[in-house]
Amino acid sequence: MTTHRLIQNFRRSQGLLWASSEFNADVLERTLLKLGVSLRRVESVSAAGLDPDRDIVFLDADQPINPAPLLLAGANLTAAPVIGIVGVEAPSRLKLLAEAGATAILRKPIQAGTVYSALFLGVNNHRRLKSAEARLAIGDRKRRGRRFLIKAVVALVQTRGLSDDDAYAELRRESMRRRLDLEEFCESLFQLDSHFPAEWPAGPALSSSHDRGGSAHAQDVDVGRRGGGDDDDSHRSRGRANQARSA
Amino acid sequence: MLCGALLGIAQAQAEHRDLKIDPIICNPGGDNARYSAMAGDMLASGIRHVVGCYTSSSRKEIIPLFEKADALLWYPSHYEGFESSSNVVYTGAVANQHLLPLVEYLLAHVGPKAFCVGSNYIWAWENNRILREAIGPNGGTVVAERYFPVGCTEFDQAIDAILAARPSFVFNTLIGESSYQFLRDLRVACGRRGINQAREIPVASCTLSEPELTAIGPGAVDGHITSSVYFSSLDTPENERFVKAYHAQFPEGPVASADAEATYLAARLLALAVAEAGTDEACAVKRAVALRAIMAPQGEVRIDAETMHAWLTPRIACSRPDGSFTILREARRPVQADPYLIRNSSRFGAVAIRPVLRVAS
Repeated sequence: MTTHRLIQNFRRSQGLLWASSEFNADVLERTLLKLGVSLRRVESVSAAGLDPDRDIVFLDADQPINPAPLLLAGANLTAAPVIGIVGVEAPSRLKLLAEAGATAILRKPIQAGTVYSALFLGVNNHRRLKSAEARLAIGDRKRRGRRFLIKAVVALVQTRGLSDDDAYAELRRESMRRRLDLEEFCESLFQLDSHFPAEWPAGPALSSSHDRGGSAHAQDVDVGRRGGGDDDDSHRSRGRANQARSA
Repeated sequence: MLCGALLGIAQAQAEHRDLKIDPIICNPGGDNARYSAMAGDMLASGIRHVVGCYTSSSRKEIIPLFEKADALLWYPSHYEGFESSSNVVYTGAVANQHLLPLVEYLLAHVGPKAFCVGSNYIWAWENNRILREAIGPNGGTVVAERYFPVGCTEFDQAIDAILAARPSFVFNTLIGESSYQFLRDLRVACGRRGINQAREIPVASCTLSEPELTAIGPGAVDGHITSSVYFSSLDTPENERFVKAYHAQFPEGPVASADAEATYLAARLLALAVAEAGTDEACAVKRAVALRAIMAPQGEVRIDAETMHAWLTPRIACSRPDGSFTILREARRPVQADPYLIRNSSRFGAVAIRPVLRVAS
């Protein structure tokens, strides 16, 4: 299911043709021109020099190329979309394209009627992967911070006699007041200068601890603004906390 | 279309007496496999220029043959765009020459709420997508999209849904008998409920032409809004001559239409380009055709060297009870074709503006 807007008009994009000088680019260049895309031959590509919103790399797999420069340091995804140009469908050539992160291919000889489809898939698949990678990074960060959340819940249960649901709700309210991610806030509770659970660390509290109720609506808005990925969990947790209070 | 081609060839022959134009006529009868076989036979026999094809599927079927033989297909039908083969000259309109002017007109003069009905294939899918994306940012909505098999003539449920939704207009991408039956049934259903269909729920399209008005029949012929680059009622000296010559050559009909005019000008452009190039070789003919403009019945027409699509003059018209059209709006000058909508659409496709209901049966 597509969750982001698809690019369908490639006007003012720039194609970077990373191919040997023997490669005849006439059809590709003429067709890209009709689509509003310029084409420039390059001898090599540097990820740092690529503009992900404008550049599209056309990589000829039938030449000895090291695709590593397409990747930013520490990244798994290329800095800009890569469209592979395939002549010989041998595993070694296809492996090169896989390593280069190609998200679409053009077969040699290039036919004009296939270029728009390759652009559409290449660019939009790259955007989809980029979006997925960003979501994964957020998930990883939250997963790493989860142990601090568990430690904080346990500390509140043990020192204040709260149920685990109430302890979670308390931590969540405090993190929201400080405009901090829940896991990030919990990690800060265990810094050397922290007196938690005896007291909350000093921070940009927006209201007094006695005025912590607010409205459920206000909390929902706050959560939405953060764009966290566990809103449903948060709602369920609030539900459990309320049930615990009622009981 | 055949009548337009024959008239164009006859006139081109009269204009270029040094050329010998010998048309070979093939009729694949709407069967895509026969398109391929017949085009293959034509090219194998040495023919380098073919005028024809109506549906996109038939065109797509034979383009590889033309690319392989380096021959030229002169495609005279309006279509959905997103194609630009080096071996095709496109003399029909694309979306920025028919659909986008229609959307602009409908939003300004009819209303913001669209209900789409169409035949379940590429023409309807792509036109509805463009409509949806053009209408949304300008305050319009698509309340539903309903698709029917090609040839379907059962529209009772769709018409009930239309009457319940009460859109500002119906956008019709049905083709052939489906379209005629839908227009007849909608008119009858509205009449039963005391609704003036033409005024209260007009049907808009980019396909309705004069021969189709005849096919709809007298009860539901009037009040339909159509976008096209040609109507036989155009008041220009060139069109007057064209219509007169057309009726003289084909007194039994069908009446002159946008398809006839597009095919007529394809034949004339072909002859002109071959005469100028001094050869029928595809590259030379393409170079020659992009250098000249001709005065066609619709006005000045020229071929864009980059896309091989024609500059055409968009017009909006409303059908009349006598089977012709009243022109409501027209562009002041020919508009360059933008087959990939690179100058007429946003970078991103729309995601927010979706129809409330989309049904394919």
